[in-house]
Amino acid sequence: MSFRTFFLSLSASFGVAWLAMVIVPYFKMRTIEPVAMGEDATGTNAVYIPKRAGRIADGSQVYAANGCYLCHTQLIRPDYAGNDVYRTDFAGYVNKEEGIDTRRETNAFDYPSEKFAHIGINRVGPDLSNLAVRIEANYAKDISPEQWLYRYLYNPRHQPARSHSNCPSFRFLFDEKKVTGNPSDTALPFHGENGEEIVPNPDGRALVSYLLSLKKDNPVPVVFDFKPAAEPSAKPAAKTPAP
Amino acid sequence: MSTETVNTNLQDAQLRAGIDRSLRHPVMFFLVSGAAWLVVSIVLGIISSAKMHAPEFMDGCSWFTYGRTQAAHLNALIYGWGFQAAFGVIIWIMSRLSRQECKAAGIILTAGHVWNLGVMAGVIGIIAGYGTGMPWMEFPSFAWPVLLLSYFAIITWSMVQFKVRPEGHVYISQWYLLAAMIWFPWVFLTANLLLHVFPGHPVMANGINAWYKSSLIFLFFTPVALSAAFYLTPKVTGRPIYSYSLARLGFWSLAIIMPWAGMQKLAGAPIPFFMPYLGAAATILFFVPAIAAVFNILRTASADMEIVNNSPSLRFTMAGVFGLLVMAVAAVFLNLPGSTLKLTQFSLSGYGFEILAIYAFFSFVMFGAIYFIVPRVTRREWISRRLIKMHFFFSIYGIITVAIVAIFGGWMQGIGQEKFYQPWESAALRAYPYVWAMTITWCFILFSNLFFFLHLIFMWMGLGRRSIHPTLLISAHGHSPHGEEGDIDNAGTVSAH
Repeated sequence: MSFRTFFLSLSASFGVAWLAMVIVPYFKMRTIEPVAMGEDATGTNAVYIPKRAGRIADGSQVYAANGCYLCHTQLIRPDYAGNDVYRTDFAGYVNKEEGIDTRRETNAFDYPSEKFAHIGINRVGPDLSNLAVRIEANYAKDISPEQWLYRYLYNPRHQPARSHSNCPSFRFLFDEKKVTGNPSDTALPFHGENGEEIVPNPDGRALVSYLLSLKKDNPVPVVFDFKPAAEPSAKPAAKTPAP
Repeated sequence: MSTETVNTNLQDAQLRAGIDRSLRHPVMFFLVSGAAWLVVSIVLGIISSAKMHAPEFMDGCSWFTYGRTQAAHLNALIYGWGFQAAFGVIIWIMSRLSRQECKAAGIILTAGHVWNLGVMAGVIGIIAGYGTGMPWMEFPSFAWPVLLLSYFAIITWSMVQFKVRPEGHVYISQWYLLAAMIWFPWVFLTANLLLHVFPGHPVMANGINAWYKSSLIFLFFTPVALSAAFYLTPKVTGRPIYSYSLARLGFWSLAIIMPWAGMQKLAGAPIPFFMPYLGAAATILFFVPAIAAVFNILRTASADMEIVNNSPSLRFTMAGVFGLLVMAVAAVFLNLPGSTLKLTQFSLSGYGFEILAIYAFFSFVMFGAIYFIVPRVTRREWISRRLIKMHFFFSIYGIITVAIVAIFGGWMQGIGQEKFYQPWESAALRAYPYVWAMTITWCFILFSNLFFFLHLIFMWMGLGRRSIHPTLLISAHGHSPHGEEGDIDNAGTVSAH
């Protein structure tokens, strides 16, 4: 076999897969067709425009730089690929008495304003697709969701129920500042050694803003709106706090 | 023996010595700095592994938060150790098999320094909080053009050597090396251009990243290690490869199947449905090229088990080939779409498989090659059989535990995750004992590689034994055909410089 034949065969065997798995899908997915919502009661058929508020790009960068994706995923797989949709705190919010069920799988419109979807590689901690939903509904009872997250990031083990969490502390996303006048809104409920207030720095605020944008409870087109009709096990899906 | 044969043998020996001399500095530079990065990577690995079960350890310090040390650990392992060991082995084997002296040692050495600076800046970038968040591509975006350019400056000469080689046989090792040398820049450039320069759909970007990781394992580290194994086994045992047609089958099945692998990590993600499952199928089919190579190499080596046992090169290489066997079985076991893929997709198994590929297979074969190459380029023999044995056994025990623990622990973790009616903590707790074991075994591996690093440094400094007898792993007492260890004889008349 001459070098020429070798090189051509090698390029062909690699090139086919390269085109089919990488290049064509990548450039086709750069422009995905908008999806119609499906007709509602009034007969209008709007186009689905995913919305997300907050400092997404900055926060996503802080999320990436601190390796959150090494322990947390952001993907609710359809039921053929895993049981994620049945975990109520992962997949959405369920309130059987009020008939609310926002559970659904992840769709291609779920990562707007991000360059790289932090799907993640390991679930050392829980999935974060609906982190904001569970903070607002379950955790932040007397305080704002922001404040709950600030306290959590400063010391993930401060609540007795979470004392076994192995989430690292992100104290480096906070600054100690001398109090002049009224304390800051974002200050944590305890003080530094000399009475300084502890407030999140810009990275910390961006991260929390990003984390609170992680909710998939907006109305989506009918084709995406998966609700598990019958759960595969007889056991009820117990609502449990995540670590 | 006729005068002509004697002359050819002499010319051959002179040519080999000339090749070794021409490559001495670049090869030793790559191997020593690679070994240093290996130690750095393992230290970072221990820190991050410890944080998995003891989160208070070095807590709250931004430079040593888990997310940064773990990313730095893997990137140092891949680009610091893996690639540099590969460079050292590629340029040496290609010169030897193409029978060409290296004429660009200075350029290669310079490019090697640039590569090292790139890796160092990248690792510091990750630790300092400028990581990109793309697994295995966490280096800040300034690093990839530096790495790519220095790669070309290092590797082009081996391509040229192959092109101008004397007519004749092309060895299996050369196929694998050429393929790896072509595949890597193609994969690297594709992934970095798509992710850094032409932003696309975020989910597809993640898919490209998964494909990149898989391609680096299967289309760079695997062929380089197979090339070294196919070089060393016949060379040390003095027997030809068992079957050439089997080797051809192994090579082309690797070339045809493996570019499709990788996207199984996105099963259930919103990308075209065929991609993850085709990726899973291709990863499972890795079994075919792997078994073809394993069978071929083991059949070649099994003809003389005594040499396998005595030669450090061959013992490490065979351990690496067994690592490949385990890796092939794991590729099947972890990626079955109907049963195990959903369990292992987001668990420790992913890391376990990566370590299996990079350490248990690739690194062991590289150690084998290093134990073969270094005495030839430094013209000194390894100082101590005990140091080599320490390196071997601590590495073996360590890596077996890491692999079993990570893969089995990840599987257990996945089973916990699927039990959606139980609290999440129960799934998280399942991985706990395994991460404990992992910290301990990384310590074993660190211990073993400190010995290796020191040994290599001594060799680099020219402190190796002046002897014509190789350092073998057998007792000096009794019937050694090579005399006593520490024998100093006529090799002393040859100058090292």
